Amino acid sequence: MSNRSVVPGPLGGEMGRDLGGPRVVEPVKRVRARDAVLGVLEGFRAGQRRRGRRLIGRHGGQGIAVRLFAVFGVVLASLAPGLTLSPAGAAESDPVRFTVAYLNEVDSFNPFLGIEAESFEMWALMYDSLTGYTMADMAPEPSLATGWETSEDGLTWTYTLRDDVTWSDGEQFTSEDVSYTYGRILDGGPERTTWGSYLKGVTDVATPDDTTVVLTFDKVSSSMPLLPIPIIPEHVWSSISEDEVKSFGNEPTDGQPVVGSGAFRLVEGTAGGSTYRFEVNPDYWEGVPHIDEIVFRVYKSEDPAIQALIKGEVDFVEGISALQVKALQGRDGIEATNGDSPGFDEISFNAGSIDTKTGEPIGDPNPAVLDPAFRYALNFALDRDQIIDVAYQGAGQTGSTIIPPAYAGYRWEPPAEDAPTFDLEKAAQLLDEAGYTVGDDGFRTLPNGDPIGALRLYARTDSQTSLDVMEFFQEWLAQLDIDSEVRAFESNNLTKIILDGNFDAFEWGWYVEPDPTSMLSYMTCDQLGGWSDSWYCNEDYDALFDQQQSEVDLAAREAQVQQMQEMLYYDAPYLVTAYSSVGEAWRSDRFACLQQQPDPGGVYLIQYGVHNYVNMRPVAEADECAGDSGLTQAASESGDDGGITTGFLVGGGVVLLVLLGAGGVVAMRRRGTVGNRE
Amino acid sequence: MTIGAVTEAPVSVDQPRTRRRSYGRYALGKSVGALGSLGFVLVVNFFLFRILPGDPGRNLGRGRMDSAEDLAAFNEAYGLDQALPQQFLTFVRGTLSGDLGTSLRYRVPVSDLLVDRMWPTLLLVGTATLLATLIGVWIGVIGAWNRGGRFDRFSTGGSLTLYSMPEWWLGLLLIATLAVGIGPIPGLFPTGGLSSPGVDATSLMGTFDVAWHLALPVTTLTLAYVADYSLIMRSSLLDEIGEDYLTTARAKGLRDVQVRNRHAVRNALLPTTTLVALNIGFVVTGAITVETVFSIPGLGLLSTEALEVPDYPVLQGAFLVASAAVIVANLAANLVYGVLDPRVRA
Repeated sequence: MSNRSVVPGPLGGEMGRDLGGPRVVEPVKRVRARDAVLGVLEGFRAGQRRRGRRLIGRHGGQGIAVRLFAVFGVVLASLAPGLTLSPAGAAESDPVRFTVAYLNEVDSFNPFLGIEAESFEMWALMYDSLTGYTMADMAPEPSLATGWETSEDGLTWTYTLRDDVTWSDGEQFTSEDVSYTYGRILDGGPERTTWGSYLKGVTDVATPDDTTVVLTFDKVSSSMPLLPIPIIPEHVWSSISEDEVKSFGNEPTDGQPVVGSGAFRLVEGTAGGSTYRFEVNPDYWEGVPHIDEIVFRVYKSEDPAIQALIKGEVDFVEGISALQVKALQGRDGIEATNGDSPGFDEISFNAGSIDTKTGEPIGDPNPAVLDPAFRYALNFALDRDQIIDVAYQGAGQTGSTIIPPAYAGYRWEPPAEDAPTFDLEKAAQLLDEAGYTVGDDGFRTLPNGDPIGALRLYARTDSQTSLDVMEFFQEWLAQLDIDSEVRAFESNNLTKIILDGNFDAFEWGWYVEPDPTSMLSYMTCDQLGGWSDSWYCNEDYDALFDQQQSEVDLAAREAQVQQMQEMLYYDAPYLVTAYSSVGEAWRSDRFACLQQQPDPGGVYLIQYGVHNYVNMRPVAEADECAGDSGLTQAASESGDDGGITTGFLVGGGVVLLVLLGAGGVVAMRRRGTVGNRE
Repeated sequence: MTIGAVTEAPVSVDQPRTRRRSYGRYALGKSVGALGSLGFVLVVNFFLFRILPGDPGRNLGRGRMDSAEDLAAFNEAYGLDQALPQQFLTFVRGTLSGDLGTSLRYRVPVSDLLVDRMWPTLLLVGTATLLATLIGVWIGVIGAWNRGGRFDRFSTGGSLTLYSMPEWWLGLLLIATLAVGIGPIPGLFPTGGLSSPGVDATSLMGTFDVAWHLALPVTTLTLAYVADYSLIMRSSLLDEIGEDYLTTARAKGLRDVQVRNRHAVRNALLPTTTLVALNIGFVVTGAITVETVFSIPGLGLLSTEALEVPDYPVLQGAFLVASAAVIVANLAANLVYGVLDPRVRA
């Protein structure tokens, strides 16, 4: 039930976060910039001083005149189009444009193909779905569907649709579009890969009339009524065959926007491209948004994106590091936060790698990590506060179980006496009790008296955080008289090592969806050799997993999910180290009315749904923000809209001046003879 | 097919040949060799990337394709479930008929992707190479002609400094100063990207807009490349400076500039020509660091990102284009050499 990309994957946000490129130091810039300018000026003065002498030369005067004339011609020619650009003052008719800097590309505008979180954001702007997510806690809320009801047995769900929605090409949106979309997904192929999990158990999609959709299930599905599947227009997609869809880009052609139902229309952009532009849907059923245009620009490194925000070229930067957030905080007109993102990072152990066909053990895990008692004891050998402070630069929260605090309903909190505190004495005592006592050589031994040897702690090369955490862990293990070694692997290599079972422990993380089924499934026996990376397998856990998947009563399901977390906590295949966060910064002197999700403490963009794009306003209208709670009120001060035009003019001028200077030097040199040099 | 190989052409003194025929044979030999290299590259590309660790399905599907069936469906849809020889056949057949396959990450035809990404790279690296050649040759000539002078010391030191400076760092400096503005300098250039949103790239305004966006990245690359050319030009011109024919030229009463440009430089240009020919081939491979810092969607970025997946069709396509460019540039250089200097055909 994944609605978004996974943060810690090789392509996920983790890389962005840990891409610790060296920062430019302020004083260096200043000195160099001044020197460069002085140098140019010096060169100019020198050139002028010598001009008199050169004019004496044969043909010299004519050459210079021609050259100067040509140069001025070029200057004029290049300035002319710049001047015809909108002058800086004419703000009246200028569209309100909200520019977002992403650090990662959209991988597909086709809602059946993409994987990146950025792509999900694009689809949500282009297409609405039957249900959306609330801002407060990501619970299902009406969207294209105004309401829904279910039968007693939970096997029939009836959704009532809005009747005032039109596609951007003027066609009416009806229940046929819904049944067409769901039909494509149920038919299999790429469509099912992305969205099939939401329709698990659906046997029939009926449309008694234009505004009613009836779903029939053969088994109760606990994820209902959540249906965040983007509804596509049948009249457009019916011409795209099953085979064509796997390479169908769904991009604007011939300047025509992609036909959709969402608050904005994609008018410019290609998969993997660097700019995506959306125009507002003037007929949007929820009310016309207060901005006219959204532009997404992909920056491939963090520093330039931050510079663009400071300069005002972009209004929002998504997915920056905690260090950058700290540096931006306190700047006038910029708001920078680390928003809680519903994901966790963990130290995972090898809980028993086996060949899934024969059931025989594979790989070479240390016997100690196969023992739940040993693993659980180490839960108290982690100073999570220090991990957050140092490895996460203070952003994020200390971790305990696999459901983050954002999902309060499903989350299980360890009882106070077992809470994951940093308590080496307790850890030592638990190890002693489990038979891992200190031997003659000063190191702990296995219960049978054999040495434990060095535990292999594996980190990922693309994440400095991962390496830092493992190095801390090594230190604390040493204090418990357990030897260990840290090695970092490239993610692809580590994946292979994990699947081969050749490890004791590694550091990685997961993103957790509002519906917990996906995350919970990764710890089931079914996923051994699949997505399970701890090789954890527990029949009682699996039984609960099946139960919660078809539990209609939410309270009962929450209790089951909590019980599953409890099992995992004491069996400890994972030691959850931290709940991650995403750094965001934006120009609060230009835009207002942005709200976090979950509210408070969450993220502003790449949320579930696109509420902020619809509700945000230019700062001049800040007092009209809907509602009060959590909406950010911003200081009033308007941005510098003329920046680009002015920059263009002055920038072009500078280039020409440099060319002119260079030309002058060349001309001067050419005329010289041996005598001039010697 | 390197430039060096041209001197190893078989010598056959026995057969008397006309000049034209021998050039035809020479050209044919070189072309066949180039085709062979291309075929070799084709095979190596396919297997090279499959030796790398990494399973595209697992990398792309983490948290998305939750069940084994989903993964299997993905692999089947993109032909990853077939045996390697079968995949190779499909690849060769596709490539020969001009179909480079579908990108696993972006799910669009690789050829579309390559075309989209090629022109930013060509503009960026091509312009920078051209500028660096012109400026470098000029600096080298002036420096060598005034060896030990102020200009020479300054330019040699300067270009070496720029040469050893990491490109991304130079790029960041330029962004911090000229794009954002610092102290009295206003922010003149954009911080990244290739064009302003909403500007038609084919219009005159669009052309200026692209030029404006490319000013800083091209400057960065040019500064980084200049030393390549200036140092080679400088040293080869220095070799010529003591020659008798220059003294003769001076004795004829020629201007210093004429002695330099018409006599000395002409003879010293050959090594630089070789370098230019070689570098032209590398234009399409892109400039990864500069593309990253300035967020220019070029081929360099495309191929580095494809490595993470690994996106086999994109990697194969990008490497094929890059190798083909180098091979063709070399072939062209060989063919031109054959005309310029008949001795290499012997």
